[in-house]
Amino acid sequence: MNNDTSILVLGWIGIYAPVALAAIGASIGCTTAGQAAIGAMMEVSSGYGRFVGLSALPSSMSIYGIVVMFILNRPVTPANSGGLFGIGLLSGLAFLMAAIYQGLCCASAISGSKAKPEIFGLSLAPAAIVEGFAVFAFVFALVAAGGIPK
Amino acid sequence: MKYVVLMASLPPLGSLFEAATPPISRLKLEHRLGLLESPDRHTLEQIANLIAWSSQPLERSDAAFIQEAHGFLTSNRNPTLRSLVTQRLDMRTIVAALRRRRHGEAQPPSGEIWGFGEWVGMIERNWSAPAFQMEAIFPWLRQAHDLLEKDDLIGFEKLQFSVVWAMLNRLAAGHEFDFEALIIYLARWSLVSRWSCYKGEAAVARFRELVDAGLGNHKELFSGASQ
Repeated sequence: MNNDTSILVLGWIGIYAPVALAAIGASIGCTTAGQAAIGAMMEVSSGYGRFVGLSALPSSMSIYGIVVMFILNRPVTPANSGGLFGIGLLSGLAFLMAAIYQGLCCASAISGSKAKPEIFGLSLAPAAIVEGFAVFAFVFALVAAGGIPK
Repeated sequence: MKYVVLMASLPPLGSLFEAATPPISRLKLEHRLGLLESPDRHTLEQIANLIAWSSQPLERSDAAFIQEAHGFLTSNRNPTLRSLVTQRLDMRTIVAALRRRRHGEAQPPSGEIWGFGEWVGMIERNWSAPAFQMEAIFPWLRQAHDLLEKDDLIGFEKLQFSVVWAMLNRLAAGHEFDFEALIIYLARWSLVSRWSCYKGEAAVARFRELVDAGLGNHKELFSGASQ
């Protein structure tokens, strides 16, 4: 494999990385929160719907990943593959970690609100804050992608 | 991951001395623990055998117990679980020394293995000091000594529960949905369960109820006889 081909491979990795990494993170996050929802449902006798709904929150990261992938998607050349790789990989890692930790936040919210239903709304705050950081990564990935040559 | 279901299915325990009964019964708890896999159940049994004071078999010698503790610490590399076991056994050693001294032993035991851990030598060297010269390491030790001096055994027991509860709170930091969190939950549950059995006033009231129910009409019989 010569140097040009290696650089082009990096570009392709960069295009697909956001959706792949975000999907991995969303799977882990939704699994964690979903398991907490199942555990909470063993203990309570009502309010199942909101636990299940909350456990799906980390799935938003895969949507961000898909959008970034579409924005980055273009013919890969030696001139743009470095930029595609950098933005794609790093935004994907941000979505991956945000999804995993958001899943933990959701699991804690479910676990805490099963005993005190009145804190359900407030317990969503940590998950919402994590979502905010992911939105930063998403928005600035779109902004930075505007500077990559077509 | 598998611990998330289990931990989320357990109710919060609340404060140590407030609950009249544990928020989850032993039967229900054991049923939930059925979600654990075999290696975890084995580790749980090992830890319970070492730190559950009330369930120690009488026929097991101190030496056998200490050998078992060393076996656990050699085989298990989890720092939180090792710390939990070590701290509980340190406390057990200190309490054993306080009780031996209260029973009139003027000298530390010789020719027998009576304690576990790094503080045994320190305790033996400072046997006659009220807190074995370890107030700086164990700030509760002076208070424990004073309570025993006053024969306040309930206060002494309550102090031990408080110290263990605080220790479990420290160890719980950073553990919410893992095996360590489960072990810490079970240790806390054990404290709540034991303390709720100790409620003196409730026990006296219940005893009176039982006596009254048992006596039934015989009370009238006796009152008639006295006339």
